[in-house]
Amino acid sequence: MGHAYQAVGWNRQKKIYDRTLLLGVVLYLAVFLGVGFALHPEATAETMILRALGTAAFMLLHVVLAIGPLSRLDSRFLPLLYNRRHMGVTMFLLAFGHGAFSLLQFHGFGDVGPLVSLLVSNPRFDSLAQFPFQLLGALALFLLFLMAATSHDFWLTNLTAPVWKALHMLVYLAYGLIVMHVVLGVLQAETSPLLAGLLVLGMIVVLGLHLAAGWRERALDEPLDQLAREGFVDVGAFEEIPEACARVVTLGGDRVAVFRYGDRVSALSNACQHQNGPLGEGRIIDGFVTCPWHGYQYKPDCGASPEPFTERVPTFETRIVDGRVWVSPVAQAPGTYVEPARHPGRAR
Amino acid sequence: MSIEIANLIVNAGLVYAGLGLVFGLAFVWKGAGRLDPDAARGTWGFRLLILPGSAALWPLLLLRWVRSSGPPQETSPHRSPV
Ligand code: FES
Repeated sequence: MGHAYQAVGWNRQKKIYDRTLLLGVVLYLAVFLGVGFALHPEATAETMILRALGTAAFMLLHVVLAIGPLSRLDSRFLPLLYNRRHMGVTMFLLAFGHGAFSLLQFHGFGDVGPLVSLLVSNPRFDSLAQFPFQLLGALALFLLFLMAATSHDFWLTNLTAPVWKALHMLVYLAYGLIVMHVVLGVLQAETSPLLAGLLVLGMIVVLGLHLAAGWRERALDEPLDQLAREGFVDVGAFEEIPEACARVVTLGGDRVAVFRYGDRVSALSNACQHQNGPLGEGRIIDGFVTCPWHGYQYKPDCGASPEPFTERVPTFETRIVDGRVWVSPVAQAPGTYVEPARHPGRAR
Repeated sequence: MSIEIANLIVNAGLVYAGLGLVFGLAFVWKGAGRLDPDAARGTWGFRLLILPGSAALWPLLLLRWVRSSGPPQETSPHRSPV
């Protein structure tokens, strides 16, 4: 959708989202510092602040990682996904603060520059107990920076969606590095079973949610290609698709959203042109397939966005035989009109 | 790691970042608009936001700017080039 870029396309939802996020972060930092000083009155302010920032960033990273699979498992979590980038950037800023404080505290006052000191001060790569864990954190911070710096839509367009996605998959590498950073760093200084337990719990939650979402999608993706007849594929009974909603199937490796509206059925590519949002999880609103992520719209019979927008998604031929819906796996060029199949028993 | 190598790495990083910053300023001012017409009318807030990324990815963007071919078209079954 052609429009001049802004820093943030603010709307009410985003403002609520960001306000809640900010409030949560400030509250967390305040509670951490309050409790921290009460329990460790001997600790310096720098130490406490860098711990508060580090733990806040680490916890927020868990939330960021959990949102994707959660919203795939249950659509009620979609509002959290809506502005996840702001959460990601917030997480980076917290991590950056943590890194900057640490650099200053541990490397700021030597004979060599802080960055050089970070690289050379601890060469014990062969020791688990003395491992230079700060380098792992620094590497993770660099990856988080790349992602935060490229989170604007401009980068999505100008790096192309596949490259952008690949870049942002680095969050998993960063997560791994940060876990190692925490295990080799903090857990050595403080052998607290509580901290270790929390860390393991966090990993189980993140991993478990990803596995659960992946397993469910595999079940949904189960190829129906065996039922091919004249090249068409049986995607299920007409009645099973809720009115104005879609069933998503995988045909020839592509995910296709099959929408039912009235007595008709139309099939579109499941990938929204905006950010690959799952069109099949959206609904038909005012006659348009509406993406659940940011509301881009497409005509169900031709896959084109309403004027003046120019987005188009591929369409697929459909048939209804004996109350069952058949879809051709051959994608038509984006925007190609395809006569919707009609259910004779449902004619209005 | 010896201190000489560490110095080399840090200095190389600083030079890269310094060049990136200079390039980035030029890029957000003029270059982004050449690559992507939507960016030509972008707000100053937008330009500030893409500055860190422009500084970090400057070799790639410099190449694109020199060739100035508009935003790249990805090719996949879901989005064929026009
Ligand atoms: S992904 Fe943004 S509207 Fe579909």
